[in-house]
Amino acid sequence: MSLKSLDPRVTRLNLPEGEVPPMEEKPELDQFETYEAFHQKKEGAAHTYVGPVHAPNEDVAFLFAKEQYSRRFPCVGLWIVRTENIQVTPYGNDGENVYDMLRIEEPAERTEQPEPYEIFHLKKRGKAHTHAGRIMATSYLGALQEAKQQFGDKGPIVNVWIAKSKDVLQSAEEDKDMWTTIPEKKYREAIAYKVMDKITKYKEENKPTTAQ
Amino acid sequence: MYGGGNVFEATKFDNLQSEDPVKLAEFEARIARGEKIEPTDWMPELYRKQLIRMIEQHAHSEIIGALPEGTWITRAPGFRRKMAQMAKVQDEVGHAQLLYSAAETLGKSREQMLTDLINGKSKYSNVFNYPAFTWADSNIISWLIDAGAIVNQMANAKGSYGPYSRALERICAEEAFHLKYGHDAVVHMATGTPKQREMIQAALNRWWPPIMTFFGPSDKMSTHTETLMRWKVKMASNDECRQQFLDMYVPKIWELGLTVPDPKLKKNQETGQWEYTEPDWDEFKRVINGDGPCNAERLAVRRTAEERGAWVRRALLNPKAKYVKPLA
Repeated sequence: MSLKSLDPRVTRLNLPEGEVPPMEEKPELDQFETYEAFHQKKEGAAHTYVGPVHAPNEDVAFLFAKEQYSRRFPCVGLWIVRTENIQVTPYGNDGENVYDMLRIEEPAERTEQPEPYEIFHLKKRGKAHTHAGRIMATSYLGALQEAKQQFGDKGPIVNVWIAKSKDVLQSAEEDKDMWTTIPEKKYREAIAYKVMDKITKYKEENKPTTAQ
Repeated sequence: MYGGGNVFEATKFDNLQSEDPVKLAEFEARIARGEKIEPTDWMPELYRKQLIRMIEQHAHSEIIGALPEGTWITRAPGFRRKMAQMAKVQDEVGHAQLLYSAAETLGKSREQMLTDLINGKSKYSNVFNYPAFTWADSNIISWLIDAGAIVNQMANAKGSYGPYSRALERICAEEAFHLKYGHDAVVHMATGTPKQREMIQAALNRWWPPIMTFFGPSDKMSTHTETLMRWKVKMASNDECRQQFLDMYVPKIWELGLTVPDPKLKKNQETGQWEYTEPDWDEFKRVINGDGPCNAERLAVRRTAEERGAWVRRALLNPKAKYVKPLA
């Protein structure tokens, strides 16, 4: 006997009915590795953290993040970083500046070529990390030190994320039209539903009359 | 948006004896100051376990909740309704993604959560173990089940765990249209032909008992509950949520000339509280433990999707990949 459903498509799956043996544990990494996504809400705005995605590679992570985080609201840019490529400072208390709490040692070696790093700040716990800017450095630690000098005095900063610019997959200027939404998609907005008009009309038409 | 995460048995309370008293005091002081907890902060085991359970069940409710509505996409009357229903179902699945990630920051992998769902080890909102017989059933789910979930989630968004709050904020923003869409669909039926009115009333009659159990039985006010409220894990009692839901939605049902199938339902003007027939909690327990009309189907469908997609995921997997927890 197979499972009968109200939905004919489910019935057609011919699923076994009754007791089934438990599913084997899903293998590790069945859901792929982790990436973090940052979106840009409008032209000129800083990229802001929106959340993670799991994907088999950077390009698929970009597609998943575009679907997951920019499907419903305005977006003009998207960055993707593999989670393991982000270095994180400890978290401070709200109102504190984490740069002041860290003893950042001067990196001993300064022989390598400097390269660009992206710096993200969290201003308050529970909010989202926001891009503070790009700096040049030869290591993550050097980047942290440089970031402290350039952006460290901008009020409370409870946490800092640092990623090498080469590890950040950024949407291209010419690809922005991927976020252009057709005007017919208004059905995804609450304002498209004129519920009160219908209720008022119904009440008008169904007023109890004393004559009856 | 499908909350109702508070309705299941709680983690065993170990009265916090094993926790470091200094760290515990710092943790509690942070919450008392109104600060959020972030994933790398020290936290008591009870806090971690309870949040994983809540967020995981919430995530499962989103993907399982998409099933009864999803089956109505192809049969929704008209192109516009198909598009809207599809957008809503896509949102719900997206919400599951957000919530799984938030739970993951606490140390449980998505693989483990999905395995536990399919093997019946972790639960989802019990209302989805009931069938959606007609298009009108789907409308009642879109309106009233979502409304119930919104009551729950607006409260939880103010909770203390940063990643959960961030996920809920996004979820609530995306939800704005769901409630209106559901309300509009119900109003359309209720103000339509006698046949349409009959259909929507019948669907309301079927769904009212599960809706009344949506927020779970009255909380036992134990030390456990008090602790979770102090830690801002639990933001409102089940009864408070139920009362708020009745306050907001019973008048909206009545103004359409529909009948709520509970002769005892009325607002006590003195206490300001709604009185109602106590839901059948024995049935609730029976259904949540597997013996409902749709439990087997919901899990079988989910399991089939997992199993039939496994080879694609295996083929895509980079052999050098390693697991890293999401950052926030």
